[in-house]
Amino acid sequence: MAANTQQRHGIPDTPFDVVSTYRRLLAEDPDLTMPVGAIEALILGLANTPASTVSETLDLVSKLTAQLKRSIPNPISLSAGTDLFQQYLISNLQRPSARGDFDHIRSHLVQNGRLFVERAKAARETIASFGRHFIRDGNTVLTNGGSRVVGALLRSAAESSNGNARGSIRFRVIYVVSPSSSSGSAEESESTANIAALREREIPVATIPPTAIAYCMDQVTQCFVGAEGVVENGGIVSRLGTLQMATLAKAAGKPFYVVSESHKFVRLYPLGQQDLGIEQNIVDFRTAKGSGSGTEAGQRKEVKDEGVADMEEGDAGVARTVGAACKPEEAVDYTPPHLISGIITESGVLLPSAVSEELIKIWF
Amino acid sequence: MSEPTKMPEPVQQVVEPKLSPAELKKRAKAEKQARRAAQKDPQEGPSSAPALATNGVHGEQKIQKQSGPQEQKPKGGQPKGQAQQKQGKPGGQEGKHERTNSIQQSLPIRGQPAPTAPPKELPKKDRKQVELFSHLYTQPRRHDIAGASNNVHPSIVALGFQMSSYEICGSSARCVAMLVAFKEVIQAYTTPREVSLARDLTSRYLSPQIDFLKSCRPISESMGNAIRWLKKLIAEIDPSTPEQEAKDYLCDEVDRFIRERITVTDQAIAALASGLVKDGSVVLTYAKSSIVEKTILQALANGTRFRVIVVDSRPLFEGKNLATSLMHAGLEVEYLPFSGIAHAVKEATLVLLGAHSMLSNGRLQSRVGTAGLAMQAHKADIPVIVCCESVKFSGKVALDSIVLNEVAPSEELLLPKATVSHPLAPDRKDDDDDDNRQVRSLHDWRDIPGLQILNLMYDITPAEYIRMVICEYGNVPPSSVPVVHRLANESM
Repeated sequence: MAANTQQRHGIPDTPFDVVSTYRRLLAEDPDLTMPVGAIEALILGLANTPASTVSETLDLVSKLTAQLKRSIPNPISLSAGTDLFQQYLISNLQRPSARGDFDHIRSHLVQNGRLFVERAKAARETIASFGRHFIRDGNTVLTNGGSRVVGALLRSAAESSNGNARGSIRFRVIYVVSPSSSSGSAEESESTANIAALREREIPVATIPPTAIAYCMDQVTQCFVGAEGVVENGGIVSRLGTLQMATLAKAAGKPFYVVSESHKFVRLYPLGQQDLGIEQNIVDFRTAKGSGSGTEAGQRKEVKDEGVADMEEGDAGVARTVGAACKPEEAVDYTPPHLISGIITESGVLLPSAVSEELIKIWF
Repeated sequence: MSEPTKMPEPVQQVVEPKLSPAELKKRAKAEKQARRAAQKDPQEGPSSAPALATNGVHGEQKIQKQSGPQEQKPKGGQPKGQAQQKQGKPGGQEGKHERTNSIQQSLPIRGQPAPTAPPKELPKKDRKQVELFSHLYTQPRRHDIAGASNNVHPSIVALGFQMSSYEICGSSARCVAMLVAFKEVIQAYTTPREVSLARDLTSRYLSPQIDFLKSCRPISESMGNAIRWLKKLIAEIDPSTPEQEAKDYLCDEVDRFIRERITVTDQAIAALASGLVKDGSVVLTYAKSSIVEKTILQALANGTRFRVIVVDSRPLFEGKNLATSLMHAGLEVEYLPFSGIAHAVKEATLVLLGAHSMLSNGRLQSRVGTAGLAMQAHKADIPVIVCCESVKFSGKVALDSIVLNEVAPSEELLLPKATVSHPLAPDRKDDDDDDNRQVRSLHDWRDIPGLQILNLMYDITPAEYIRMVICEYGNVPPSSVPVVHRLANESM
């Protein structure tokens, strides 16, 4: 089985590098999300490394996971996948029945891994079929783009009809596009592609800068956003700016829906923006003299936990423009659950409070 | 349940000490009915009297009430009635009767045994019970063994008194103490002939013990969950198991329960919760919770630099113990009365609360005052975190603090008397007419018409104010309480 997988992916038998595999997988398949990419990388790692006992396997997986998490500046989304995989391993390998034939279980695992990846991709279509019922004639949808699953949902709504290319639902879309970020980033190309696809389907699309969200909120009937991770209390970690959109939607009384696959549910419970466990360096105090964010540590009072500051700081000094986040596609914020009306997943439309229930089901 | 309190008829007084708990319960119910009847009475007039007087006791009580709140002398005028009269008027005749050296002199403080015999709430003076909470005044707390079932184990008796005097206080502590006592009780049990242990132990032997504990102080949710677990365990014992083996098995299981559901759980929760305390945090807490104390000490052991604000309130002043122990551990502690919550919330970055129980609608039942603090913290956008073992999770639902609560003796709320102001002559209690000639203090509250004192133990904090609940299953939002409860307490 291991050989089989190797063949398919053409991985040399040299020491396995989980990080480069992960990056390669994401680059090869634009449809792949981070958690699924992480799971696939871990499965490949498992397939490539001989491990003969249960504890050895678990140890290997946790080592690879740690390696992976270290190399990525924002491991929240990724950890949803790795945690899920680890839990799956633990519950499968430590069952009493599992003792008998370890090799069998292992090959079964590697095989089913592919299946999991396929299913995760298929989830997007299921979500689109659930979510498109939220869009009705005459609606105006606000979204902040970049999310593949939101794109799929809107496309599905545009097509939903009696088979011909033009849909029967007439709705409009307002896309929030950040002007400061240069073209070429993955997020931007994603949203441009989505916008083009919608316009092709005769859906009127407007693009606005993030500063105009409040201005156009009265025209909007509902908001859809994607998420990097759905946290335990039903809040979401998503690209920077989601929180303010949610806050404005709440203030205007417009429903705010999150569209996300359930493998993005992550065992994390942030209490606030500073509690995400990652260093983002978004609020960066400077004076005329001091410019380096690393040297003026005393000024950055509100950033308390500096866990993985190292590599962010490195390129932050180069790429950052004043007032903008260091890397728009990587900076995230946390939207608390009371701002969210519903989470559309492949297993149904959930209230934020149901997320914790789903997670408890997986973990206990 | 003391004998002279209720029944003016001599005949019934003779019978009384032998009342079983079931009978006591019945009587309590009957009294409640009588109270309700008495309440209606003034409007309905005396015409309804015969109907209500179907059982003699009630008729008697009703007539007393009709004669006005001031006139409280029992009809019989027998010596026992006199004793009762004395209790009713605290402050009169110190030391003459053992029950009259009462609780007013010292405030009940956790860790310090309350005086042995606070005056009873006299049901016939039920105007002193706040009507909205009348369902909570079931029985006065028991402080003696009179009328108790004769097979109550001594260790249970001791435990009951420790609970009623707050010597053992706090939901987890009471649960552990009860289980430890149950181990002794189980070992002392011998199965009667021709019955099996599994059938007899719970119903015939354990139930009187539990009833005794309930009569000392209403049992907590954790105790209820533990009892339910134990009963289920007993019922599942194979009848063919030898008796000693079964008893040893039960005791081992009880030990395991304490270890798994409370001891280790506490460590797990403390480890989880202490991670939320960051350098520079200001942790705000209310009263005393053992799990919050553990969490704070764990955070200190982790090397975090933070400080603590303890908010406390009358009458139990539990926070004093917490503040002292944290101070001794080397923490910077600020101690504030409840009236200072607005100030406390201004500086805090995190609120840690313990729980009496977590209810299924995500609401928190905890020491009275918690809801106020949580509301202040919520308004200031400070995360409110509840640390709670899953054994305290409950299937009940409450919308307010009225339905589920516990009424403690009102005397606890009285401040200690100043030594100078002791103007009450011993004979004063007999003449009700010239009451207003003297300066009254709150201590005379029983004699002041229209004055009631309500001493509630708990209140309910709405789920919206709670950011997170930490239990041994991890951090969960309050909305997941029923899920954890199902997982932990109903599938065990």
